[in-house]
Amino acid sequence: MKKILFFVGFVFLTLPLFSQVTGTVFDEDNNTLPGVNVVIKGTTTGTVTNLNGKFSINVKKGDVLVFQYIGYQKQELTIESLTKAYNVTMVPDVVNMDEVVVMGYSNKTKTEVASAVSVVNADKLLDVTTDDVGTMLQGKVSGVQVVSESGQPGSGSQIRIRGISTIKPGNEEPLYVVDGIIGGSFDPNDVQSVTVLKDAGATGMYGARANKGVIIVTTKTGTTGKTQFNFKASVGMKTADQGNLKMMNGQQFYDWSSELYRDPETHEIDKIKFYQYYPRELASQNYDWVNNGFKPAMTQQYHLSASGRNDKFGYFVSGNYFNDKGTFRNTGYEKVNIRLNTEYHFNKWVSMKNNFNVYANRGSYYDYMDMYYTYLALPWDNPYNDDGTIKYIDGNTPGKWWSRDKINPFHTIENSDHNSKGFGLDYDFVLNVNITNWLSFSSSNRLSFSTDKSHDFVSPVAAGPFHDKGYIHERQNNWWGGITSNMLKFNFDLGKNSITGLAGVEINGGSNDYMWVEGKGLPEGFDVPSVASSELKIGGTSTLEYFNSLISQVNYNYDKRYFLTASFRADQTSNFPVDHNTAYFPSVAASWLVSNETFFKDNVSFMDMLKLRASYGVTGDPDIGASRFMGLFSLSSQYNNNPAAIPYQLANYNLTWERTNEFNLGIDMSFFQRISLTLDLYNNVTNDLIVLVAQPLSQGFEHRWENAGKVTNKGIELNLNAIAVKTNSFEWNIGFNFAKNSNILSGIENPFYSTVNGVSQIYRNDASIYTFILPKWLGVDPETGAPLWEKVNADGSKEPTSKYKEATPQEVGKALPDFVGGASTSLSWKGLTLYASAAYQYGNDIYNYTNRFMDNDGHEPYINAIVPKSDWKRWERPGDIATHPSMQNAELSTENSSRYLEDGSFIKIRNISLSYTLPKKWSSAIKMRNVVVSLRADNVYTWTNYWGQDPEVTLSKGDWSMPGVSDFKYPNNHQYVFNVNFNF
Amino acid sequence: MKTKNILQSVVLLFVLAVTSSCTKWDVAPRDQISTESLSETKDGIINVTNGVYALFKNQVEFSGFIDDNNAYLRQYFQMSDFASDDIVCGQVTTDPLYYSFTYTHSPDQSNSRFFWYVSYKMISGTNTVIDIVENSGKIERTPEVNQILGENYFLRAFSEFSLLKFYANLPTVGNPDSDPGIILRTTANEPTKKARATVTESYNQVIADAKMAASLMNTSRGKEFASKAAAWALLSRVYLYLEDNANTIAYADSVINSGEFTIEPASSFPTYFPNAIASDETIFLIAYTQQDNRGKFGSIASMIYSDGNSGWGEEFASESLRKVMAEHLEDVRWKYIDTLYKDDGTVMTKNGIPIFYITKFSFQDGDPNLSSPVMFRISEMYLNRAEAYAKMGDEAKALADVNEIRKNRGLEGSLYTSVPSGKTLLDVVLEERRIELAFEGQRIFDLVRNHRDIIRKYWGYHIKGIQVPDIDPNNPPTGYPELVIPWNDPSVLYYIPADEILANDLCVQNP
Repeated sequence: MKKILFFVGFVFLTLPLFSQVTGTVFDEDNNTLPGVNVVIKGTTTGTVTNLNGKFSINVKKGDVLVFQYIGYQKQELTIESLTKAYNVTMVPDVVNMDEVVVMGYSNKTKTEVASAVSVVNADKLLDVTTDDVGTMLQGKVSGVQVVSESGQPGSGSQIRIRGISTIKPGNEEPLYVVDGIIGGSFDPNDVQSVTVLKDAGATGMYGARANKGVIIVTTKTGTTGKTQFNFKASVGMKTADQGNLKMMNGQQFYDWSSELYRDPETHEIDKIKFYQYYPRELASQNYDWVNNGFKPAMTQQYHLSASGRNDKFGYFVSGNYFNDKGTFRNTGYEKVNIRLNTEYHFNKWVSMKNNFNVYANRGSYYDYMDMYYTYLALPWDNPYNDDGTIKYIDGNTPGKWWSRDKINPFHTIENSDHNSKGFGLDYDFVLNVNITNWLSFSSSNRLSFSTDKSHDFVSPVAAGPFHDKGYIHERQNNWWGGITSNMLKFNFDLGKNSITGLAGVEINGGSNDYMWVEGKGLPEGFDVPSVASSELKIGGTSTLEYFNSLISQVNYNYDKRYFLTASFRADQTSNFPVDHNTAYFPSVAASWLVSNETFFKDNVSFMDMLKLRASYGVTGDPDIGASRFMGLFSLSSQYNNNPAAIPYQLANYNLTWERTNEFNLGIDMSFFQRISLTLDLYNNVTNDLIVLVAQPLSQGFEHRWENAGKVTNKGIELNLNAIAVKTNSFEWNIGFNFAKNSNILSGIENPFYSTVNGVSQIYRNDASIYTFILPKWLGVDPETGAPLWEKVNADGSKEPTSKYKEATPQEVGKALPDFVGGASTSLSWKGLTLYASAAYQYGNDIYNYTNRFMDNDGHEPYINAIVPKSDWKRWERPGDIATHPSMQNAELSTENSSRYLEDGSFIKIRNISLSYTLPKKWSSAIKMRNVVVSLRADNVYTWTNYWGQDPEVTLSKGDWSMPGVSDFKYPNNHQYVFNVNFNF
Repeated sequence: MKTKNILQSVVLLFVLAVTSSCTKWDVAPRDQISTESLSETKDGIINVTNGVYALFKNQVEFSGFIDDNNAYLRQYFQMSDFASDDIVCGQVTTDPLYYSFTYTHSPDQSNSRFFWYVSYKMISGTNTVIDIVENSGKIERTPEVNQILGENYFLRAFSEFSLLKFYANLPTVGNPDSDPGIILRTTANEPTKKARATVTESYNQVIADAKMAASLMNTSRGKEFASKAAAWALLSRVYLYLEDNANTIAYADSVINSGEFTIEPASSFPTYFPNAIASDETIFLIAYTQQDNRGKFGSIASMIYSDGNSGWGEEFASESLRKVMAEHLEDVRWKYIDTLYKDDGTVMTKNGIPIFYITKFSFQDGDPNLSSPVMFRISEMYLNRAEAYAKMGDEAKALADVNEIRKNRGLEGSLYTSVPSGKTLLDVVLEERRIELAFEGQRIFDLVRNHRDIIRKYWGYHIKGIQVPDIDPNNPPTGYPELVIPWNDPSVLYYIPADEILANDLCVQNP
């Protein structure tokens, strides 16, 4: 009652001065636009357009209404008549000068940014068909090296930002932040933008975990009033990219084998002996294992989303389905992802966001040995019987099977299964409270649950070790995690001075549990653990990690010309001993927007923008896993069915954080509204490297975790975008980026090594991380045909030797490239766009481990060999200048040496696409706002001298992998995709 | 009003967040135990001791991953027997086991590096237990604790002795007082870098540890664990290597006279190895349970036997051994050599080499890859003693001991009454030892310590570079340099692993 009275009184009082005007707001396509802010200029009085885009507001003649809406330019309207209904058309904000950059804890306009960051928006990101955001970033951001190491459907890529700043095993990937909260899951189709934070000025806010860079992913939200739908479909075909790896056919391998019979005396092939063991008809037996193991496969992706927004409520909901068949037999991946993002404004002060992302996936994977045999089986063996059935081969099978191992990989694949299923849920709850007009509180929280299960099964029917027994191994993994960040944010605008900032607390924790079971003795046709009757085994454990942080940041800017950002973060983690578990991470960044100075505006006409930036800060890396500092005995073993404790780890109670001092200088320029250029120089020094320092094996331990030495990454990054031609109907864009990084170790007391499969890399002062140290291959002795390596004598003199054990291991190359980058170009004419992008890498070496087998000198006479490079020559008789030793005189010639170390540089056409946007009249005829069809080819061609599978070789240190060492891998794919995209 | 409420709740949330951040920071792993807490539970030292036994059989992470090929006992047997004249190589391979056949060792080969590493991991485990029991003051010295302590001294002695056999000159070769032996690690806090002791110093340590073990162990935990008798058996073997005949005999006597052990009779000998745990022949074995079945990729059996799928089956009983045994086809020890026949009754070949599989490491629970390898058994004590008597010239006693074995191997009709012409007494004893202990990791050392060359004048891929058509089944190979390896050839020794030398520059490499 009281309220009504008040209202009536209000209306009565205002009548003499004010009158209510109405109007409708439209977007550029003449759709009504709800949720637009309408404010009387110079006051706080305002309203918001309703669902039909209509507004009504009490104004007096001469008032100016200001219309504001995200993504559109501000519009102003002077009220001339109080009776007229006004129509307002909003104009999209195409001038991207002040686009919003999502920085994680806070957002900034591009003008305000004082650090090295790169933003990639959805349209540019989604030019490849994949489920992996890393693959999408390849070649698009300077200083970001992306390696798609495997073509296995569902596999991710490896991302390194500004070189390698850590040498410990384990996670080397950058930190992901999804929708402002550390961690999280997302589908690439739901991504609005990706921001890559590269220097400490930007990453400082993530202090403790920012050593390896930060990738900020922002998912879509409802933007416009009317509900908008988007449907995308991609269907394509892919084939395996075997690079320069081609296996020999029957005739080629027959000729290769005949070299085994070259008589050491006469230097002629002893044909009588050779034909005696190798019948001549072999030469025409030509089974192509590789082409039959890898077949063209189909890939499909469908995306449907809806979004909308009004003054109180905004939402984005999407569903994605991805089905990717693998080129290798019995492999594939399927994923469903559902996202619901909502935003609700209770009133002017309080709003909240609730975001859900749910995914489920399942994949079929390959067994390494099956792929190994597919490459190495001899063309003289056929996996099928004459009647087309698949052959069973084991050690006792009568009849000749030429390949070294009596195994038919296709039979094994047919009778085994390696798959996984995953499920994950992330729920974000964000509360924003505007306490006063300068102070707000925000609480961002996420709960994450995920579970995945893997299943390995070999039928008792399969040949090999599990014949007549069968084998099953299943593993279940559960992750529970939670994070909460609670922050007070302030914002003062005092004329030309503007200060913003935040302070808060973040708590993060998670636990991971896993369990596995294994068993044999399976009845034929059954594949669950319950039916296993013998050799049952079980294992599992649980790990726990905590992380606490205090976060603060202050931003100051004067007159949009001088900008300063300072942040300070303190972190505490359970991964380090109690006395060493806290570290502090300050950072500061400043920039000067020269182009906003009057003298610049008055005098420089060719340049629209010039900004100078500098930043310095400290970041850290605690990512070593729990309990690395303790002296430990492992209990996951037994003796005679009794518990057994095995010496596992040497103690180091001084172990502490790795900290990087990062310094960055940058310049942003833009000319004639056409060319934009960004240049950054950086110098990052990581101190207290956490290193597994090699111990003498006679300690009973291989290594101990220590803080030892430092690594310096220095580099330069260049990003250039240009609109070369722009007319009403035609536009030509060019983009180019380049990053050079040098990596130098120092402060290491004793050089140490890491060795996988006998291949060693040295860590020493003044050398790059991942420097190969191997006996140096000198080729072939022209007189004897024997292999030659280099022997370095104590006095430093060098001489060739044919005895492998005399050869001196030397530094012969490195796995890190000198520079990496990418280029892109697009040509648009009316609705037609042709786009192409490329990625390149230069100066790295790859150890071609598989060629130790595929390019042997008779050491492995019954596995197939790689078709030789045109300039390879095998030694036949004295005087021959050859690359390959005589098979009769090749002792230890295939042992690890620089013989198999090759240049890994490449240029790769990442993709070429042709897309066509249907003319408006056509699309509106089918009630569509916008329709785009496109044809796309991914991973089109690679130029490289590397003689093996494609040169994208792993950068991670793992159980079986060493950076820069190639082993048989699931080949990448050439992919050809047709896409349609409907907006309605 | 409303604003005030909001403000209050915000402050509350903030305070809550700050206070709840006082988390517990010492997170201990759930499947590992810290060194400090080992002495806090009664089982701590027992679990570590069991861990040392487990290291005999476990595939331990090394060089960044767990390789199925890498287990201590697999290397222990392959690195010795594959270098001997008992086993022939039927296939060239990149597995470093091949270098044992060809004597082309390198400091980088993974099998030897692993063997060295795990040997010292065992020693590290024993040092931890010895340190806790003797120095922590937290453990009461009950007979059970003394047994555990003694087992650790035994295990340390065994590991040291095994290292010495592979990496140092045997005491009867070279100059033991100056030749480098092994790095002795005898405390829980050893300096990181340490030089090799001499051969003599090293053997003195083995003997001291074994004697300490024998004196401490009085409450045996079964044949799967070390015992007083096992320590005596070890001492008998070590003294045999030192050619200390009196002590060899004395410790062999101690075992034999203990009355705990009897030689497995001929009737049951063919099933002895699969069932060694239940036999009175066994002094000490390493127990493999069903869950320790290492299958095709890691079992000891898989290289030397296959049922067609169970193993690689690439190495066979050599012609040289079979010739020695050929005289007595009734010898029950033939049961551990399984000939693979073609349908026409001839012996099947692999790459031209006839297939005589070896089954001493198979058929526990019927599984072709499962066995609990016997480390010490009573028959060896008779043979140790026989060899000592032979070297002392006591023919009667030496032959009596040899005959004791033969009686139980189906050769009751072929006992020795005198040394056959053309042979020495030592020949007779060593021949019996060869047949009895074939494939048990002894032969190569028996040859070298007695200054006998390794003679492999039979076809096999120990001859580098031969191809199948080179193999002439009717004539032995001639003219290849690999056919005879002199007993004092330096390549008989394995190299100290490169990893050791790199991180410990006090350690000298073998020639």
